[in-house]
Amino acid sequence: MEIKSTDASDFKLVYDSSFTLLMRVSYHIVYNEDIAEELVQEAFERFYVKNMTFPSVDEAMFWLIRVTKNLALNHVRRHKRELNMVEKVKKMPGEASSNQDGSKQLIEQETIQAVRKAIESLPDNLKIVIKLKEYTDLDYKGIGKVLGISESNVKVRVFRARKKLEELLGKEDGYVY
Amino acid sequence: MCIDEQLISSYLDGELCEPYKSQTEEHLSYCKACNARLEKLKKVSDLVKLSSPSDEVLSKGKDEVFALLEKKYLGQKKKHISFLRRKFEVTFPTMVTSAAAVVVIFVGGFVLFGSNSSQTNEIVPSFNLQAGQDNVRFVSNKEQGLDSYSLEEIMKYLDSKGYEVDISIKGLKPLEETSTEPTSLE
Ligand SMILES: [Zn+2]
Repeated sequence: MEIKSTDASDFKLVYDSSFTLLMRVSYHIVYNEDIAEELVQEAFERFYVKNMTFPSVDEAMFWLIRVTKNLALNHVRRHKRELNMVEKVKKMPGEASSNQDGSKQLIEQETIQAVRKAIESLPDNLKIVIKLKEYTDLDYKGIGKVLGISESNVKVRVFRARKKLEELLGKEDGYVY
Repeated sequence: MCIDEQLISSYLDGELCEPYKSQTEEHLSYCKACNARLEKLKKVSDLVKLSSPSDEVLSKGKDEVFALLEKKYLGQKKKHISFLRRKFEVTFPTMVTSAAAVVVIFVGGFVLFGSNSSQTNEIVPSFNLQAGQDNVRFVSNKEQGLDSYSLEEIMKYLDSKGYEVDISIKGLKPLEETSTEPTSLE
């Protein structure tokens, strides 16, 4: 189904199917709900203003994820100041969390922060891939489309990121294992 | 020989195709070491997933943001995005000589994006709008009120503007009573 970004019903369809997913992408880059929301809004504004046509809802969504991710990364770059992200994550007030299927399974604040700290210490090329993998419903192919890399490249990076995280989180004894 | 750990990671994501998938499953059915590897990778994956606010928390601004976008972009071009019913309640003392009928006109098919007065003017130019809690009432401030138009003229007018109109007559009341009601036209 072709999607025209300025068509009201197409816009609504894409909005409804991608808002939460974009929030997950945005949030896990800026780690602030309000800023994440502003950036998602900005992405939808660009989507509309650019007056584009996509061959499917998925393609429109890939475009939006890419734009949201770039907006969020730019935001972080601009607001880096003296604190690096790892430090920010450490100082961040924790937020309640539950797992993807909605069952409220709270995990310790320290664990959340340890995990985020570990993710933020990954090299950039692994960091974004693991975030897209774990926080969106995208498969390797979809992640590849968003990032403009091959499916097998995604596969390799997901694995490397996991191994690094395993190592980083394993070291922090008591936290994870 | 054990399987490559990267295959285990892909297997975990459900992205392993045949024949590797079957081979991996078969190997996992007896190899404790590979099962432990799978478990470790799964644990990391779960931890990352769990370190996220719930979808409920993340999507709480969804409607609000949409309303903003709608107002800013979608509202200007399209009048008929969603269907909204508004109720105009007026009395027509001239319609029935012995009693005033409260005529309820439902106007459907237009959406307001903060431009109440201009739309009101479009529908009935000489009336001011006073928004109630759940309906809207027109009360005449001017000499020439709704009651100087015939119902037929109003219908024609709304029809020419492309609104869906249906009319129901709520009831007939004696003039003395209706004259004290706030909806009556002085
Ligand atoms: Zn093995």
